[in-house]
Amino acid sequence: MTVGRSDGRTAVVIAVLTLLPAVWPSGRLAAQDSQFGIRGLGTPGKWESVRARTTGGAFAPFDAFSPLTDAVLADVRRMSASVTSGASWRTVDAGGAQSSLRATRFPAMVITGPLTSRIVVGGGFTTYLDRSFGVIVHDTINLRGVPQPITDEITSDGAVSDLRIAVAARVHSRLAVGLGLHRMTGSSRVIAKRSFADTANYRTSTARDEVAYGGTGGSASLLFDVTSDIRVAGWFRTDSKLHADVGGRRVAENALPRTFGAGVQWRAGAQATLAGNVMWRNWGAVQSIANAHDTFNWSLGAEIGSPSSPFRFGLRGGQMPFGVGKTPTEVGYSAGLGRQFSGGRGRLDIGLERLQRSGSGLNERVWTVLLGLTVRP
Amino acid sequence: MTRQLACLFLLVAGVALACTEKVTAPGVCPNFCPGDSIAIRDTIFTTIIQRDSSFRGYVPSYAAEAMTAADVPGVLDSRAFFTTDTMIRRVAPKSGDTTTVPITVDSSRVRFVIVHRPKNTTNLRLRLYQLPITADSTSTFASLDPSFTATPVDSLNVNALLALPAIADTHTVRLWDSLWGVQSSDSIRVSSAGHVLQINHLDSTLVVYFKLDTLQAPFIPADSGRRAWGVRVAADSFASVVLGSTESGGNGPLMRRFFHYTIPDTVSATPDSVVHTDRFVGTRFDNFVFTPPTPPLDSNLAVGGVPSARALLRVAMPAYLHDSIDVVRATLILVPVSAVPGVPSDSFRVLARPVLTDLGAKSPLSTSPLLNGSTFIHIGSPDTVHVEITNLVRAWSLDTTMATAFILGQVPEATSYAEIRFYSSRAPAFRPGLRVTYVKRFRFGGP
Repeated sequence: MTVGRSDGRTAVVIAVLTLLPAVWPSGRLAAQDSQFGIRGLGTPGKWESVRARTTGGAFAPFDAFSPLTDAVLADVRRMSASVTSGASWRTVDAGGAQSSLRATRFPAMVITGPLTSRIVVGGGFTTYLDRSFGVIVHDTINLRGVPQPITDEITSDGAVSDLRIAVAARVHSRLAVGLGLHRMTGSSRVIAKRSFADTANYRTSTARDEVAYGGTGGSASLLFDVTSDIRVAGWFRTDSKLHADVGGRRVAENALPRTFGAGVQWRAGAQATLAGNVMWRNWGAVQSIANAHDTFNWSLGAEIGSPSSPFRFGLRGGQMPFGVGKTPTEVGYSAGLGRQFSGGRGRLDIGLERLQRSGSGLNERVWTVLLGLTVRP
Repeated sequence: MTRQLACLFLLVAGVALACTEKVTAPGVCPNFCPGDSIAIRDTIFTTIIQRDSSFRGYVPSYAAEAMTAADVPGVLDSRAFFTTDTMIRRVAPKSGDTTTVPITVDSSRVRFVIVHRPKNTTNLRLRLYQLPITADSTSTFASLDPSFTATPVDSLNVNALLALPAIADTHTVRLWDSLWGVQSSDSIRVSSAGHVLQINHLDSTLVVYFKLDTLQAPFIPADSGRRAWGVRVAADSFASVVLGSTESGGNGPLMRRFFHYTIPDTVSATPDSVVHTDRFVGTRFDNFVFTPPTPPLDSNLAVGGVPSARALLRVAMPAYLHDSIDVVRATLILVPVSAVPGVPSDSFRVLARPVLTDLGAKSPLSTSPLLNGSTFIHIGSPDTVHVEITNLVRAWSLDTTMATAFILGQVPEATSYAEIRFYSSRAPAFRPGLRVTYVKRFRFGGP
């Protein structure tokens, strides 16, 4: 009886957590904000579940609930769903001036299930580019021959989301391939406000609009089991131009990068798995942005312990695509725990991530608390 | 299992509590700011005011809510006056009596409310003159001049009264308030001549009372007890006061007669009883006259004067002021033809009010005070006049159906000789202009 009652409560919690992202404001369906994305198209999202993210992203190509690759969906044997959420506390250090920011995001959701014994379909969303930021600038300008203190506040709340429909097939006992179709969509509510210290003579100017984004893409990936313990993955993705519309009028079109990546996973016994991957994206192809850089990212991670309650940790490093001067870099450390419940029908993942980003004139330090839920009804 | 659920709930609660967003940080521009910036422009539209005109006759002096008495030798002379209604000559000694007895006037008081005066002047005096009771709206400065140049009936020194010790006991103050209908005077000053001054603590207006005997204010039955009183002002310098008129409500001039009558005793041998009482004499008409008279309208834009003149200015809004920008400040620029002569304390307010629809001189005015713009015109200053009409131009910018015209008028109208004239659009070098500071539309959507 006790087990039965607990299962009922668990089901309620699962239902609540599953519905939470569905009813959440769309602006929260974003990933990790960064000041480095303001002067570019945005901050690229991390296409990782909590499990993958707590291994530094190393497990992402081998984790069916990370929307990085499609081929890995072939491992799914039952209808499953997973959602990722994270709360971040970010410290921005710009030339000695520090500010503290915080945000809560739901960066990824995956639903997948087998169509036949060899073919699995899946879908969901993740954040392609985060467009949430706000900047305040205090200045004094000369107006009508008089120095006039002003405050400009420009805010953007939204993201470019990546909706994916993917299919994976196990074409051989050792080889799985996957294809995905991507639709980039989303919007950001933008506000530009200028206020004056002299409120008696000058009125505050506020401009509001909503920018809608759109684009399409395709991805392909493969998963090859070299031995029963070693698995390698490779993936590729290309996208159309990302267009931005305001009031139904196209205001911008920007090329998006191609993505290449490869990873390896080693099952070192029954209670230890190690993985690593590298990924390259040619963000430099975004012609409209002067300071766009190609990025190379890597990650290493491990999962130790029983599969029902493993401990994970990982390390990541690499570059960020937008920044003046030298390419901004990002280093991250993460760790977390997983716990299966209800006889393996559900899994709760928690994690903690520390990121350090640095570029010319700006450093960021981020703590993120991650919470993920996977259910197999 | 229960412990696991508790942990789960704690995690969910933790995430929910962390759902407070703060994504705004000080900008590090230009490297870490949006590509576009908020751009501001300041432009003077020199030909935007078109088809401007002036019209006179909106408010005559006798309908104004105040009267100006001023005397600046060689510049202007303004004199206020009022006439009283008829006064009863007999009263019924007892209630229900059909017979009446004559009254005998003992004294009178004449009251004026000074709503505005120069605070820095000295020896400010009001001189009371007896005027012909036929004075009315047709009376001119010249026609009343003989009466105003005769010997004054009485004179009252405002500064001397103000310098006297104040009587502030509540009983006396309330008695005077109730007798004369004055509201909230805070103290009273009484001179040896019987002149009284009350200070209204709400608006600092001064209420002054002349005390007149029967020689100064005779009761003439042939005139039905009517009287007419005129006021001139004198001072060491800047002699000018603004007196309340009947149209202002409770601040109009008043006269009160104090009289007695005898009740004859027809029953016993006791002496006749004498009753002392008083009565207000209603104000029939009040006005002021001045010289030199207001000059006729010309090609310039006249605002103020008597009867009041207003200027209608039409604005040809360029299309780009209707969209793509956000007006943050708009200032109307007007160049006076010359400085307004007079006493500095007679500076007046000019109000720009939008018209609901453009029907020329009779355009109905908007009743929304939010769209109005105003400024003060300083006597003796030839400086360019600036009127802030930001709200109005913002409204025009947002609502293309609004009539883009407004009327400049004096506030309050026709209360003084003061009139300002601005160059109109017919004077290309000095025509009215509109200075608009606006923010260009932010280019959203770009990196």
